[in-house]
Amino acid sequence: MTMQTLASAQPDILQKLIFGDKPAASEAAAYSDGLFLMITWFSIIFFVFLMGLMVFFVIKYRRRPGVPAQPSPHHNMLLEIFWTVVPSSSMLVMFVLGFWGYTQKMVVPDSAMELNIRGSKWSWVATYPNGATSPESQRLSKVEDPTTRTVTQGREYPIFYVPEDTDIKLRMQSTDVLHAFWIPAFRTKMDLVPNRYTGFGLRTPKLTPDETVIYHDKEKNTNTAIAGRDLWVFCAEYCGDDHSRMAATIRVVPQEIYDQKMADWSVKLSPIDAGKKIWTQVCKTCHDTSGARLVGPAWNSVKTGDGQFGFGYEAVLEDGSSVMRDANYYRESILDPNAKVVKSFAPAMTSYQGILSDEDIDNVIAFIQSLSDRNPNTGEANEDTENTNTEAPGSDS
Amino acid sequence: MSTPDAHAGHHDEGSYLSGPPGMIARIWQWASTVDHKKIGVMYLFAVLFMFFLGGMSAMAVRYELLDPIREQTTEVINAATGETEFVTVVTGESLKELMGGMFGDNVSGTQIYNRFFTLHGAIMVFMFIIPAIPAALGNFFVPIMLGAKDVAFPRLNLMSWYIYVIGCTFGVLSILLGGVDTGWTFYTPYSTTTDADHWRVVLMVSAAFILGFSSILTGLNFVVTVHKLRAPGMGWFDMPLMIWAIYATSIIQVLATPVIGITLLLLIFERVMHIGIFDPSMGGDPVLYQHFFWFYSHPVVYVMILPGMGIISEVLAIHSRKHIFGYRAIAFSSLGIAGVSFLVWGHHIFTAMGELAAVLFSGLTFLVAIPTAIKVFNWIATLYKGSIVINAPMMYGLMFLFTFSIGGLTGLPLATLATDLHLHDSYYVVAHFHYTMMGGTVIAFMAGLHHWWPKMFGKMYSEKGAMLGAALVFIGFNLTFFTQFFLGTQGMPRRYANYVDEFQTLHQISSAGAVILLVGFLVHFCVFFYSLLWGEKAPANPWGGLTLEWEAESPPIEHNFHKEPILKHGPYDFETTVPPHWDPKDYPLPENPGKH
Repeated sequence: MTMQTLASAQPDILQKLIFGDKPAASEAAAYSDGLFLMITWFSIIFFVFLMGLMVFFVIKYRRRPGVPAQPSPHHNMLLEIFWTVVPSSSMLVMFVLGFWGYTQKMVVPDSAMELNIRGSKWSWVATYPNGATSPESQRLSKVEDPTTRTVTQGREYPIFYVPEDTDIKLRMQSTDVLHAFWIPAFRTKMDLVPNRYTGFGLRTPKLTPDETVIYHDKEKNTNTAIAGRDLWVFCAEYCGDDHSRMAATIRVVPQEIYDQKMADWSVKLSPIDAGKKIWTQVCKTCHDTSGARLVGPAWNSVKTGDGQFGFGYEAVLEDGSSVMRDANYYRESILDPNAKVVKSFAPAMTSYQGILSDEDIDNVIAFIQSLSDRNPNTGEANEDTENTNTEAPGSDS
Repeated sequence: MSTPDAHAGHHDEGSYLSGPPGMIARIWQWASTVDHKKIGVMYLFAVLFMFFLGGMSAMAVRYELLDPIREQTTEVINAATGETEFVTVVTGESLKELMGGMFGDNVSGTQIYNRFFTLHGAIMVFMFIIPAIPAALGNFFVPIMLGAKDVAFPRLNLMSWYIYVIGCTFGVLSILLGGVDTGWTFYTPYSTTTDADHWRVVLMVSAAFILGFSSILTGLNFVVTVHKLRAPGMGWFDMPLMIWAIYATSIIQVLATPVIGITLLLLIFERVMHIGIFDPSMGGDPVLYQHFFWFYSHPVVYVMILPGMGIISEVLAIHSRKHIFGYRAIAFSSLGIAGVSFLVWGHHIFTAMGELAAVLFSGLTFLVAIPTAIKVFNWIATLYKGSIVINAPMMYGLMFLFTFSIGGLTGLPLATLATDLHLHDSYYVVAHFHYTMMGGTVIAFMAGLHHWWPKMFGKMYSEKGAMLGAALVFIGFNLTFFTQFFLGTQGMPRRYANYVDEFQTLHQISSAGAVILLVGFLVHFCVFFYSLLWGEKAPANPWGGLTLEWEAESPPIEHNFHKEPILKHGPYDFETTVPPHWDPKDYPLPENPGKH
């Protein structure tokens, strides 16, 4: 499909000033940039004309002592009609062009690849057609200082790989409050609403040979340059505390790399690795695994000012009672988070009932368990008796 | 109209500002007054105080964005194990540091930021901009411009003020208890589930609910006043355009505000009793809230701007001594805007609604731009062949044409669907509505305040000081908000406590502009303060106005006029009429006046 675009492929100064160094990533985006520039030029011409007239009148007809204002007609029907019709017809043009551009951004061919996007406070998860989800993450904008080894913008955000030059349809839903999936490079966004699918389409750009991104292999701790282009994703609908940290990267890569990733990710992971992957995607924003206090308690065994954390250690609750952190405790906390809230933490978590499968929950617990130095893998039945001052959580043993 | 009891007595020939001796007696006189002028002045001080609070929270927001909250990660080599580790420290929590332990230790920098921008929005919208012009300047001048002694229901008027104060108290109470983080729009399901202390959210929503009643009652009062209390000889088309604007505003207030009242009540029910109207897990629809909310809040945009347009019509005509061009076009476009404003709420929800609805609302939104454009053309045509003086009110009037035109024109890409998908909920929108709300309403409010200050308090202000303030406000305002257009188009979302490094330069320019803006308003404050205490006595008609308020004394007497005024000339007949209190020697008329 070719589409006439109003934006120049060679951006002029105005276009660069407005949209920055990052060019529109699709034809639909280039079209709306062109439309924006067209409206901007229309506005500039109007504005300069009106302000010029105003300044001219203010100077020419400035008050002089003893000189009265000169009479002139108080209204002019023709003039009124003229300056009603001219803006009206210009706006009709904008409306029609805007409608056309809107359909380009919303409508996708039936053959488009479907990508499921799930938003929850405060992270994004993309699920691919083969059921895989991306485990990779990176810092959104990173400035490395070679002398001190300092990188700014510390949080890591997920990377969603997409193949180049492909139609993609996003099917999106939220698990809690409203979010909005904004990819500035595609000049489009749509809200995510709980209990409803929303979405939009996009066509990924064709990469030029000189475009590369750094692929960081966590296992081997190596950096490799691969062909690709990174595009930011931001949450654009206010969703609470870490709204401004709800970001992701869309990484456009050649089809071969994409296929390779799909093959790699669909490999069956061990429960601990699978649990870690879920943590990266869902739990990480609120639960740290190295002892830091985030919105929720840390998962590893650590003793801080807030008390002792970790699998196999007792948790002190708001009412002063304590409960053993065992598998059932974690299961209940995932499905009914506010049933037992650790002292000094807010009941901020929403239920993952229906979002995480039983297997997912098993894997998460396996991962949590692996983080603890007290790892009572045996004697599940005995754990319940260790609970003090509180009824035993529903047991399935 | 019978004279209200409190008006009877021997003071009715003195200035409305004179009162009985003794502090307590004076406070009681003001607190129990049914005089629209005193109520207007009380509103003025109340809204200016809220403007100060809202402005300071805006400064807090700009302060935080100067250096955003960052998690700075350093790679260190663990001496014991030889492994590399990442150590993360949070930097840039400047607002949290500034506030000290005010919010408790467990509240993060981003949470504090979220509370401040919510505060800024809620205060500015519900407690400042909506009542600023109609309730403060409108209360004072609507009856005088109509030639009446008071509004139609003076006691109701006082009640509106008390309701306003109670509403503001609820809002301030919510802030003092720690503030809310919902955003001023209270979008569900966030607002019904946020773990910010329950009662703070309920308090803030109740504040908006209560303020709505003040708005409805004031609107009702003005509609009846305009219908029933016009001076003898004043037909509908002899009314000053300020009155037309206030009239259109009042109609919107009476019709739209009940909707927000019901919506906010539902929100409180939802939050406290979980009735499930907006909760998807109970079959409710969170987007329904947005429709309810914007069905009020879009028309209310015109409650904010229409009175400003009224002021500009007065200011431009009087200070260029020129009949307003296209009187009927301006009057009818006010009513047109009021009508169409009810049909365009959907453009706030383009990204959460169906395609067909989006297209319909896009088309309707363009409609509302047309009457606005017509007004701007007519105002500029008014200047033609005038006798234009550059003073503080006129400076603000011309500044309005500049900033408001930018506000209007930058709205076009937001009404255009294709471009809106990109710009929606970005800093571009923030810049756009600040150019209309601040560049429109606040600038017009400043024009009106300078224009009518001598009439309200009987004192002149320092022209030089006011011009300096105006220049600073103009520079500061444009520096603050023009940069935000670029932030938006380049991809900066709104309501972000931190951002990627690329945006920092523009944010810093914007914050620097905010400081200049603040200094500008402080200069104005000093100028007005000086004027109140040591200002020169103002003549009855300093600018040569023809509307009826300039026939009254400065400040007006308790009953506004010594005897009921009879209208002998139109509000803008500068070519044929020597203004009241003027010597014909000082006001030469043109030899061959123009025709109507």
